[in-house]
Amino acid sequence: MSLKDLTKPWTAFNYGFLDESAKRELRRKMLKAIAIPGYQVPYASREVPMARGWGTGGLQVTLTLLKPDAVVKVIDQGADDSVNAVSIRKFFNRVGGSAETEDTSQATIIQSRHRVPEEKLRADQVLVLQVPNPEPLRPVQPDMSIAREMHGDADYGQLWLVLYEQLVKSGRIMQGTEYPSLVNGRYVITPSPIPRWDVKKLHQAEHLTFLSAGREKRIYAIPPFTNVEPLVFDDVPYRVEDHQDKTCYRTDVTGFFMNELPQEDGSSLYELSDSNFGIKHLKNSQGETLTIGETWYKNGRMD
Amino acid sequence: MAYVATRGGEHAIEQAERLFRSDLGKISAARVSEIKTSLPYLVDRVMGEASLYEPDLAALALAQAGGELSEAVLLLRAYRTTQPRIGYAKTIEQADLFTVRRISAAFKDIPGGQILGPTLDYSHRLLRVEVLTGEDYVPEPVIASETPAPAEQPSLTAWQKAQGLIADHATDDVAPENIPDLTREPLLFPAPRAHKLQSLARAETGGVLALGYSTMRGYGDIHPTVNELRLAEAPVRLRHPNGTVFNAGRVRVSQAEIITKSAKLELGFSATFGWNEVKVISAATLDRASAQDAPHAASTEEFVLYHTEPVESSGFCIHFKLPHYVTFQSSLDAIRRVKADNVENGKAPEPVNEKEPAL
Repeated sequence: MSLKDLTKPWTAFNYGFLDESAKRELRRKMLKAIAIPGYQVPYASREVPMARGWGTGGLQVTLTLLKPDAVVKVIDQGADDSVNAVSIRKFFNRVGGSAETEDTSQATIIQSRHRVPEEKLRADQVLVLQVPNPEPLRPVQPDMSIAREMHGDADYGQLWLVLYEQLVKSGRIMQGTEYPSLVNGRYVITPSPIPRWDVKKLHQAEHLTFLSAGREKRIYAIPPFTNVEPLVFDDVPYRVEDHQDKTCYRTDVTGFFMNELPQEDGSSLYELSDSNFGIKHLKNSQGETLTIGETWYKNGRMD
Repeated sequence: MAYVATRGGEHAIEQAERLFRSDLGKISAARVSEIKTSLPYLVDRVMGEASLYEPDLAALALAQAGGELSEAVLLLRAYRTTQPRIGYAKTIEQADLFTVRRISAAFKDIPGGQILGPTLDYSHRLLRVEVLTGEDYVPEPVIASETPAPAEQPSLTAWQKAQGLIADHATDDVAPENIPDLTREPLLFPAPRAHKLQSLARAETGGVLALGYSTMRGYGDIHPTVNELRLAEAPVRLRHPNGTVFNAGRVRVSQAEIITKSAKLELGFSATFGWNEVKVISAATLDRASAQDAPHAASTEEFVLYHTEPVESSGFCIHFKLPHYVTFQSSLDAIRRVKADNVENGKAPEPVNEKEPAL
């Protein structure tokens, strides 16, 4: 036996960039995350050829799930054409030979930063959310070791206190994105910076969601048909953003999460935040017949 | 009217990258070699932070990044993480190091002697401006010592331990493949000692200096004395599959021991790839400081190790350049709702323009 026998011929990188031992570790951690919904599983989090904070957590999960017949959609802030989403999608194609799509219904893996698509995801689709900060307790307990103990004890009193303080100070719950939510009645998670509008889509969903924080080295999951309940007081209902009556100026579609576009005259226009959803509506209005999947929200409401 | 053309974003990022690369011009083997030979301490710093010892690749990373250090470190780290692990080097002791510089501030003289080696410590920091007008600077020749210092030097702590001055902690006999490995496992707290020293070894030089300096200056109870500082070349000994242990080469390493003079003498230790004295002195101080029960940032292991990680800290810092309009929209919604509430309840709106003091 020689050293040469122990190694394989040199290649620039393995299929899916990560080496097999890295993928094996991640698969084990992903299975654990599914087995304990909402529990933050620490993982090694390898360096990837992108800077930390630019989707490296989501990237590692998608790279591990990648197969040559995978169809990958990548969105950033709801848009497929955002420069970083383009860059990540190109990378998957480069190292995995996977097909790229912008159509939500065509994708087998959807990696997203800050949005869940408006069309309902199916059981055969996996949503991978990029997470900057996986720790819902960070605002009240920056020390990770103590926060881990608090999760162990389901000690979430201080999170309720934060919401209560917002109520007392502002008369409203001021939490924008990252709304703390109880998963499967056990672990409180931060659902990554998706708007409150999208948190409801994770509850009892048909699809599997992975949330992966590369920089912070934590992965957690929401398996299909799992309860995801935003923390609310009995007498103060959960409120999503007031976008139900906003109309997209490009498509005339009403009742979905919008981007606000400030105008020079001081007013604002609105456009659908989910760019592929918008494009499909736009093309259909121009005579095409694209199938638009069932949406979570109907008439601006989701019950 | 359509959404932003998808190709638009793709075209833009491609051209932006081309612009950066065309500013740097052609990268040739000669340029990489020039970086390697003319900037060895920079190459060392990058290898240390990347925790990959390969001067050619480090010089290439510097060339590709145009000297942007965090980019160069990321390039090397991303390369390193995909490399298979084909073996574990044998443990080496301090006395095995091919030592070129070894000093102690704790004693006037030490067994084996104070070996200054290459250093700018006592130089006058004057720019040789004449070089810019065509007058080359040629360093003066080194006059060899009459009695060359031995290549291998004993460890000062061995003497201190023999004297009973420093506690001689028992070491665990761990198989090499079972040594905790930060590059293959997450960092959890309290961190295993191996993870802590590995984390400091690959920490960002400026980061450990800033935190180390804070404890030296007074945020903490550490008054470090440099017990021993070494620049050396460490032999990499591997076991061939046929059983022979062979020397696969040497890597430049620095290591520092600092000693504190409280009730008893306590050591802090750090070592890293490459010659980087500021880093190992700071990191050895932090090794000691972060084991303390003090309310300062640099006295907290988690604070120190998490915030000196070069790839994570620089990446997160630059990620704020990414669009965040969905998060912003969501917060805007809550703020507007409160304003609407105030109008409804006849409450005076909170002033938006608060006067700031002029100075």
